[in-house]
Amino acid sequence: MKTIELQINGAAHEVSIEADETLLQVLRNRLDLIGTKKGCDSGGCGCCSVQVDGKVVYSCMMYAAGAAGKAITTIEGLGDGGTTLDPLQQAFIDAGAVQCGYCTCGMIMNASELLATTKNPDEDQIRHAIAGNLCRCTGYTKIVDAIKLAATRIAGRAMESPE
Amino acid sequence: MSLIGTSPQRPDAFDKVTGGKGFPVNVKLPGMLHAKLLRSPYPHARILRIDTSAAEKLPGVKAVLVPSEVPKRKYTPVYFVPAAAGSMVQDMLIMSDTVRFAGQPVAAVAATSLRIAEQAIELIEVDYEELPTVFDPEEAMQPGAPQLHEHAANNVAVNPVMGFGDLDKGFAEADHIFEGVYSSHRVHTCYMEPRVCIVDCDRQGNYTVHSSTQHLFGVREKLAYALEIPESKVRVIKAPYIGGGFGGKLDIGYIEPVAALLSRKTGRPVRIEQTRHEDFISTARHPIKVYLKTGVKKDGTFTARHARSILDTGAHATHGAEVINVHGVFGLLMTYRCPNSKWEGYTVYTNNMIGGGYRGYGSPQACFAAESQIDEICEQLKLDPIEFRRKNAWHAGEPHPMVPGVTLDSYAFDECLQSGAERIGWSQRKKADSGSGTKKRGMGFACQPLWVSGCVGFPDIYEHSGAIIKLNVDGTADLAIATMDIGSGQTTTLCQIAAEELGLPMEAVRMVQNSDTTTVPVDAPTHASRATYSAGNAVQAAARTVRERLLKVAGIMLDINPEQLAVANGRVSVKADPKRSLSVAEVVTRAESPFVQHGKNGPAPTTLEEKGTIIGVSSLAPKSNPSPVSVEFVEVEVDTETGQVQVLRVVYAHDLGKLIHRNGAEGQVEGGFQQGMGYALMENLLFDPVSGSCLAGDFLDYKMPTAVEMPRDIQSIFIESNEPSGPFGAKSLSEPCITVPAPAIANAIYNAIGVRIRELPITPEKILAALGKL
Repeated sequence: MKTIELQINGAAHEVSIEADETLLQVLRNRLDLIGTKKGCDSGGCGCCSVQVDGKVVYSCMMYAAGAAGKAITTIEGLGDGGTTLDPLQQAFIDAGAVQCGYCTCGMIMNASELLATTKNPDEDQIRHAIAGNLCRCTGYTKIVDAIKLAATRIAGRAMESPE
Repeated sequence: MSLIGTSPQRPDAFDKVTGGKGFPVNVKLPGMLHAKLLRSPYPHARILRIDTSAAEKLPGVKAVLVPSEVPKRKYTPVYFVPAAAGSMVQDMLIMSDTVRFAGQPVAAVAATSLRIAEQAIELIEVDYEELPTVFDPEEAMQPGAPQLHEHAANNVAVNPVMGFGDLDKGFAEADHIFEGVYSSHRVHTCYMEPRVCIVDCDRQGNYTVHSSTQHLFGVREKLAYALEIPESKVRVIKAPYIGGGFGGKLDIGYIEPVAALLSRKTGRPVRIEQTRHEDFISTARHPIKVYLKTGVKKDGTFTARHARSILDTGAHATHGAEVINVHGVFGLLMTYRCPNSKWEGYTVYTNNMIGGGYRGYGSPQACFAAESQIDEICEQLKLDPIEFRRKNAWHAGEPHPMVPGVTLDSYAFDECLQSGAERIGWSQRKKADSGSGTKKRGMGFACQPLWVSGCVGFPDIYEHSGAIIKLNVDGTADLAIATMDIGSGQTTTLCQIAAEELGLPMEAVRMVQNSDTTTVPVDAPTHASRATYSAGNAVQAAARTVRERLLKVAGIMLDINPEQLAVANGRVSVKADPKRSLSVAEVVTRAESPFVQHGKNGPAPTTLEEKGTIIGVSSLAPKSNPSPVSVEFVEVEVDTETGQVQVLRVVYAHDLGKLIHRNGAEGQVEGGFQQGMGYALMENLLFDPVSGSCLAGDFLDYKMPTAVEMPRDIQSIFIESNEPSGPFGAKSLSEPCITVPAPAIANAIYNAIGVRIRELPITPEKILAALGKL
């Protein structure tokens, strides 16, 4: 066991881990951040997507030790932690992009990176961005709709309050 | 009606976008152990010796389980039938000393951590005597093939034969006879949440179970049966959410009984979560080979059909004993009118993995055969494929061809055909292979003319549902029901049905979380396209009882006959004088109040009739089994250089009786298409032909459609035929949308390039080979 410090959603967490524990295992099993889901544990489904320094990673494919000193964002870090949601979370609700919900958090974390780097992405950009996140319920139609809706709302807000 | 057909927000959506706490995979109990199964590397073997001594010595190991310790009663793990159902085959043991597929559990370990459990199973020594194997069901049926089970001669587990009319006469009357062999492969449901369970056995032998399941009461019944204990000893907790099922969580796995036995040994809760690889070898749609022979008149009228279906059920019969019947009856025998028909089904044991339930339940395999062949007939006889189907179709008002005593009260096949054809622009369809260039486009369609809304009328299958609805003093309602929400929105639609019937806003009705088998009425599974219809009927019945009592109390309060009252938007009002009204909260508060209340004018007694919680309970089977209809048109583009097929446009037309939740219904159909397209073009759960081990045990090797491969344009037309026996006119939707894509795509590919592929999946290699380019 060794002790590392992880910066998660803006807070520091000191955690004792085995050297080969993945970020996913530490988030779920040691820190109870259960919004990050395990779908395959082999980098194939995207349910465990989180952001590390603003980039989406499959947390099942990253050693926790490798994330030390980096800014980790999980689904619990979106919105204000209360009833105010991130525009993507709200759009997923409004567009009906949630069915069983197991892929949802990873999908939102992935889309969140896209919208942070690409204003008003077109449909091709959205579909390619989420191609690493599998969903078996929706056929992706309403997920794509939700990401478009969030992008439009974010752009609208930017228009209202130009910096 | 205010709520029906709209798209109110899903009650579970907020939690699911912020973390999704309510999945069984998140359940953690104090003192919980983690268990791991040791699985056989051999597909057919006898266990000679198991030595667990080294594993037992590993610090942290709390218990080891081997086959000699499990109960010896054989069972069928399928949830929706009685454990000893006569139509099923009882051939399962929790653990056996005979291995019949690669991956069968042969031992298990419970330890204080998953890491220790994983290390411990590596320390278990097993000596196997390898036995001869057979992986092809038709080879397995030959004399001299290895026999997998003593009870099954030629490895045939069940062999249903059904038919009517005079087959010889029918073929003699035919102007043309068509024959084809259509084969399908093994695919996985790919629920995203792994199968997981936590079982906690107390010192008096009471088991509390959390499980990723499609059927609360199925877990109770099958676990109790396998453990040879009374059902009352098993309490199953309803998870608020299940991360997908699609039929893949319709049977008790190895994990629940093994966890139960390990918990009994240790006195601690035991958790088992399957790896994705374990999930892939736990359940799959059965490969079925269909030999289909059809006689038609010149004008396209069916005169005779004969089908023979060979189903590879793998090591155990389980679902294969029922899938074969659904496949034959709802896929081949009864979909269209044909006076002389015969079908023979063979559910055959092999050393492959055990097949399971999967949305459509035998029908996708049949629909591919039947709807492909109809297009072949039309192409050769130059008949209009829409007119051909219409000519042979059933009609509203006719007796249900399969379910005795049931009439097709609502049935809008014609409207589905017509509206779908108009929307896709069917009149623009060109002749087969008439395009130029290397990329060619084509249109095709397929139908699922007959399907179910639950299982009323079928032998050995549970069908009833029950609900409890209770009003609260703040004007809200709690709905408790065992129906599992596996993602397809049962919580939403059932709350919506309750809200509509109670005259409450959607957000005032809440689904009770974590109810369990001791607190809610018995319910059949979330399967067979039944939840909206059957559970919806139960919810509506409970809500009617609640409403009746609500109006009775309000009538006393307003001093008026309850029949003159109505409830809407959370208020009870006098129909003739809507200004005279009370909020539901006021009425419930009165019913729940003390007998004498102190008010401004001193103590005032209420009446006994007003007193008591306003509650409604139902438990019933639906009156009918109405058929939904699904018709799907697709346009594809085939690259004749690479063999790649891209689906460009999809138009579905469904007769679903009545739309309850529009957005949810669209989502069902769009997701159904993804599964259907994956089945048609790319998904394939491959196994090594020698070792029998799975070659596609993760999502890198098992290719399911991503957002990139999916068509941009999927349209849903909903035809509302208003089923009289359904809640607000609804029947079902979930499954027919997954049966039609494979034949629709196959027919569109034929239209594009003039090549007929009769073997799924339709890969680029098969297309290039058929074009003579490989």
